[in-house]
Parts: sequence; C-alpha cells; structure tokens
Amino acid sequence: MPLKLVKKFKDKQGLSRLKSRDKEAFIEVYDANVEEINRFVYFKIGNREEANDLTSMIFLKAWNHIQNKTLEDAKTLRALLYKIARNSIIDYYRDTGSKIRATFSLDDENHKIDVEDDKVATPDRLDEEANLELIRRQLPQLKEEYREVIIMKFINDLSLEEIADISGKSKGNIRVLLHRALNALRELVEGEKK
Amino acid sequence: MTNLELISKLNNLKKVKPDQKWLDTNREFLLAQISNSSVGSLSPWKSLIINLSSLSKAFAQPVYALGIFVLMLISGALLGQQALSKTKPNDSLYIARIIAENVKVNTTLNTEERNKLALQYASNHAQDIVAILADPEFNTLDNSDEVAKLNTSFNKEVKTAKSRISNLNNSVASRQELAQKNSIKNSIPEDRDIIIADSSKDSRGISISIDKNLVENIASSGEKISIGDKTTGVSEVLKASTTITATTIDLKSSSTLEIISPSAAANTILDEAQKLVDSKDYDQASSKLKEVEEIIK
Repeated sequence: MPLKLVKKFKDKQGLSRLKSRDKEAFIEVYDANVEEINRFVYFKIGNREEANDLTSMIFLKAWNHIQNKTLEDAKTLRALLYKIARNSIIDYYRDTGSKIRATFSLDDENHKIDVEDDKVATPDRLDEEANLELIRRQLPQLKEEYREVIIMKFINDLSLEEIADISGKSKGNIRVLLHRALNALRELVEGEKK
Repeated sequence: MTNLELISKLNNLKKVKPDQKWLDTNREFLLAQISNSSVGSLSPWKSLIINLSSLSKAFAQPVYALGIFVLMLISGALLGQQALSKTKPNDSLYIARIIAENVKVNTTLNTEERNKLALQYASNHAQDIVAILADPEFNTLDNSDEVAKLNTSFNKEVKTAKSRISNLNNSVASRQELAQKNSIKNSIPEDRDIIIADSSKDSRGISISIDKNLVENIASSGEKISIGDKTTGVSEVLKASTTITATTIDLKSSSTLEIISPSAAANTILDEAQKLVDSKDYDQASSKLKEVEEIIK
C-alpha cells in the first residue's frame, strides 16, 4: 500500500511537471518508454530504420499532445504513447501505399538489432535461439490485430485494461482475441517445424 | 508446443532492443526539438507547488476513503444500536444487541460512567425479560424451557445490576473521599504552628494552647504533625482531645451515609423485584424495576 501511494505520487508529480513543460520530465518519460515503443513499432512494421524514425516522431507527437493539456491522468501516459504509435503506424501504411508484410531476421545486416546475450552458446541456448527465430518469422504471418495484442501482452507486458484502453475494445474481447492469437501463432510455429 | 511454452518464448523477445547509439542520438535530437517549447528548469516555487499538489492528489483518495469508512462505522454503530435496542430477549438479533452494548460499555473510559451504563443495560434487560414473561402467549407450559431460561437470565441480570451498584458505590465513595481530602489539604497552611508552648506565662508551669480546628483538619487528611524535632501521628495528638475525635467520626459517618443510601435502596428494590418474579407477579416486578431505573438516573 505505501509503495502504491509513492508510485501514485510520482505519477502525479511527473504529469504536473510535463504539463508545466519541464523537458527533464519528458526525457524521463522517453527513457522509461522508448525501448518498449520502439519494439512495438518494430514488430508491427518489421523494418528497423523505419521503426526508429517512427519512434522519434511518436515521442514528438506525444510532447505536443501533453502541451495541449489533453492528458488528465498519469496512468494514461503509456496508453497515450501506444495510441500515438498505432495511429503513426496506420499513417505509415497509408503513406507507403500498401500494407508491408513485416519480416524479421537476426542476420539482417542493414537493420541491426541489439539482443542481450549474457549466456555462453550451448546446444540448449542454440536451440532456444532457433525457437525464437522461428517465432520471429511466424509473427508477421499473423493477422494484424492478433499480432498487435500478442506484442502488447506477451512481449511488452501490458495489462488487459491497458490493451483494452489502447485498442478501444472491452477486456472480454481482448481476452478472446489473445486466446485466438496464441492458438494461431502456435499452429503456424508447429506447421513450420513439421 | 503448449501455449505456456509459446508465451515464455514470446517473453524472450523483450531482449530485442534498438541499438544504444541510436537511443543516445535520438535522445539528443528530441531534447533539441522540444527545447523551443519547454522551460529550462522549473523554479523552486513551482516545484514545491507541484510536489504539494501531487501529494494531496495522491493521498486524497485514501483519506476520503478512510473518512467515509469512519463515518459509516459511526453512523452504522449509532443506527444499529438504535435498531438493536428494540430487540427483545427472545429475538434472534438479541445477541447482537448484547454485543453492541458490551462494546459500548467496554469502550467507555470513565469507570463511573461505565458502571452506570452497565447498570442501565442490566436494568433494561431485566425489564425486557419481565415484559416477555408477562406475555400470556409466551409464558405457557409448552414453552416452559424458554421460560426457565428467561428466569435464569433475569436472575443473572439482577446479579449484574447489584454488582454494578456496588462498583458504582465504591467509585463514588472513593471520588468523594479524595475530593474531601484535597479540599482539607488545601485549607491547611504550610508551616503553621498548631501547638504553642510558653514557659514564662506564669509560675504554675508551661502553658499549652492547641489550634483545634487545624488538628481536626489534619486528622481528616491523615498527615503527620511535627513537634520540635519529633514527628508524631495525628492519632496521638487526638488522644488528648476526645472532642476532636468525636467530630472526625461524625464527619466520616455522615459522608458515608449520604453515598450509600440510594444504592442500598436500589439493591432492596431489586431484591423485591426478584421475589415478585419468582412469585410470577410480573406487573409489580416491572414497576419495581422502573423504580430502580429512576434511582439510577
């Protein structure tokens, strides 16, 4: 309970500082969320450079949004970033003319991705990497809405409430969507293994 | 592959991060972009206001919640007690009434008030029991078990009332005695000579004069009297004067009588009420209990 209150205090304080145009406060928000938002965009569009550009733009848009004082609750700050990210991705699809199928690979020389590798390469580790690569390859094959909920829930650890808020659906709908998305991904992964 | 295994593998994709160089560059770029529309750093006053308002916003909800909870608790206790006070000994909610009353009695800090409250409750219970026993529809042969239980409860309540009267009596007596001692103590001036001896008065010897009023006061307060270098008990001094001792006894006996009389009367009436209930004269018993209630007030 006291920890919750301290967190609440910090959220309120951060929001007030943001509304007062404190750039330090915004940089704190950036530092706390940039990797997550970048990962979300990257897994959605599948292009590292484009993902980086979009991420920059998303944070600038968020800054302008906060300055217009439309943000009332600190809890919705994360949701705001995701909403802006979703809209930016839609705009990106529109601008590029067609929906680009995302493709991911660890061997992409042009689009390097940092992967934390704190373990020595053992057969198990290699097997795990192979599995990850498999999932990575199959993720873009999923329907857009399935992919989105899987990224938000299982990769970026958003709660059901947050996902519902971002996507404008009910919690029940999100739960069903997640179940279907997981089944669809599992079928794809098992299909490729065979 | 199960869904759980799949979820754990998806969790591993958290390791995918943009490279650090881009993160740093983009941070600088963003800072430069927002610098035009931001303030350099907040003034100490602004920071203080923000901190205070955030503090009040963060803690407002728990404080409101606590306030509402306390309000509900108090109003619930008050309304609940009012509603419960109407329950009768043969009602199912009667136990709740007893618990509520016990809580109220035990949370009363003043001993005298606590005894009064307990006495009042015991008297009310006894009256309620008598009222039920007087009901011909309840007091039947078929219901003899319940009637016997109520009779036992009545005796218990009378016993409680008597014990509370005794407690009340003791606490009132000790309070009054203490007050009397204090007033006497205050009336005694410090270092005043109460025995004055003068050997040069005349040829017959030493002339001794005793300040009677002062010795009387000191006797009541139980203090010691000092004669020269020797400190002696008041009783020794009192031996010399039977008048003083008699006055002291008079004082004590009169004050004790004043305290005991109403409680003794209440005890007697309770005994009578008990006898009347035993002889099934419930109307008379009820009126006797009302008399006790009047005395308590």
